[in-house]
Amino acid sequence: MIRRPPGLQRRLLLGFVGVAVLTAAVTSMATIASFLVVANQHPIGANRVGRRIVAWLPTALPTRTVGVVLLAIGAALIAFAVFTAASIGERVLRPVGHLATAADRMAAGDLGARVEPGGDDEIAEVGRSFNLMADNLQSSVATLQQMEATSRRFAADVSHELRTPLAAMTAVTDVLSAHTAGMGVDAARATNLVVREIAHLDRLVNDLIEISRFDSGTAVLDAEVVNVRTAIETTLDLRGWRDHVRMEVPEGLTAPLDVRRFDVIMANLIGNAIKYGRPPCVVCASQAAEGLVVEVSDSGPGIAHDALSHLFDRFYKADAARARSDGSGLGLAIARENARLHAGDIEAENRPAGGATFRLTIPACGSVPRR
Amino acid sequence: VPKILLIEDDASVREAFEIALRHLGHDVLVRAEGETGIAAVREHAPDVVVLDVMLPGIDGFETCRRLRTFSAVPIVMLTARSDDLDVVAGLEAGADDYLAKPVQPRVLEAKLKAVLRRATPTTATPPIGPLAFGDVVLDRGSLVVTKGGKHLDLTPMELRLLLELAANAGLVLSRQQLLGSVWGLDYLGDSRLVDACVQRLRAKIEDVPAEPRLLRTVRGFGYRFGA
Repeated sequence: MIRRPPGLQRRLLLGFVGVAVLTAAVTSMATIASFLVVANQHPIGANRVGRRIVAWLPTALPTRTVGVVLLAIGAALIAFAVFTAASIGERVLRPVGHLATAADRMAAGDLGARVEPGGDDEIAEVGRSFNLMADNLQSSVATLQQMEATSRRFAADVSHELRTPLAAMTAVTDVLSAHTAGMGVDAARATNLVVREIAHLDRLVNDLIEISRFDSGTAVLDAEVVNVRTAIETTLDLRGWRDHVRMEVPEGLTAPLDVRRFDVIMANLIGNAIKYGRPPCVVCASQAAEGLVVEVSDSGPGIAHDALSHLFDRFYKADAARARSDGSGLGLAIARENARLHAGDIEAENRPAGGATFRLTIPACGSVPRR
Repeated sequence: VPKILLIEDDASVREAFEIALRHLGHDVLVRAEGETGIAAVREHAPDVVVLDVMLPGIDGFETCRRLRTFSAVPIVMLTARSDDLDVVAGLEAGADDYLAKPVQPRVLEAKLKAVLRRATPTTATPPIGPLAFGDVVLDRGSLVVTKGGKHLDLTPMELRLLLELAANAGLVLSRQQLLGSVWGLDYLGDSRLVDACVQRLRAKIEDVPAEPRLLRTVRGFGYRFGA
């Protein structure tokens, strides 16, 4: 949030107050001098102004009346000086204020924020420059967003097109596998390779389609209050991981979760901990101030420092030497999207004692069950 | 041997599924369009229909709706796009379950078995005697449901769901619980199956389906049945 520089405002105000006070002082001194001239009927030194005033005054008027009139004129002048200073100050400060407001809105993400520069002074010039900069920024951002949307739509379209031929191939892989016993060695190896890679392609296409649903905003949260321990146990049982994991989850802990999406998150985090870390893998859940917190920790070597910030990037692989794993390279990206759909997030860190910890946070009120 | 009707327009996918399902020992019948598929259901009375969403002519949703006007055959929708909207639209059109392409034959096999199992009348003998909820009367012996004296035509799943809800009248049942007890699915079954079946049941037993009085939603927790 950009704040209007407090120094500028204070200095401007001080300046105007100074001008006002100075003007008032000069005017008052002139008034007092004139008053003295009249009161004493005696020109002070070589003050020509004083003498002229005396010459101009109708001699018939009583000295008292002249004094009062002069005092009134003096007071009016002071008031005028103060008013002028204040209105000039206001006229300078208002466009500065508008600029600050527009900059605030832009900082908050409203790229359509503009000022209305009036006149042709320096401040209006700054306003026009601001508007030009905002125009350029807005059109650049729009172009970038369009390019990103286009490339994501392309990825989604490609995935969908791949799906039909893949569906045909996937359907017959079991038939192929069942007949490798009767094949020659090379034919059987070739068949196994094809079957294996079709399965890999299948995972990749499914994950691409899944992530394209997050990109297009069609992924929907289907949450219900469930027992967290049961949900995690289901994930472990479905994959035969019970013996690989130590659970530290309170018995009666509940949270509003989309159980299928929660399963995707937990399967990814626990799967990674088992695959890349060293046992024991610990899953620890608790109710904290910020909502449900689930931590998945391993006792492996931890995550390389420069990899930490890229872990959730698409197709990022922490170890370049591990050229191609059996995963799609989208697992953590999908896990994080699922967490964010719950209005939560996932963070990764290395523990001081060694090993990596992935922390899933799901706010209690963030994922209001909808139906 | 259960007879499976596959309605799928893509020739390669159709052939591949025919090979895979025959390999698994099923009796497979294939059709490429919705209309011919509907005719095949009338003519051959398959035990289960596997129906693709994207079909030339009338699409999968419309085919499903037309099938439901005369048949309670279990229908599994194949959604090419794993679009959530497709899934919901399919279930609302009367499908019993869905699968997103590409499908592993093992997954398809498991789903077909589950759907077939659920379609057979419940074998457990329910407590005899009619139960009344408002003007809806459920005879647990004959499995006849009437509303205001008029017979209601329920599909096997709708009847199973109603029996389960009636047996637990007044209690909140979560969708996960219902998936387990009514659908026989594990914890990760799609809870939208429950939502869609509830919608269809409401359309039959409620006076105003949009303002249910018998089968109420308990937001964030599940459903409660009772007058």
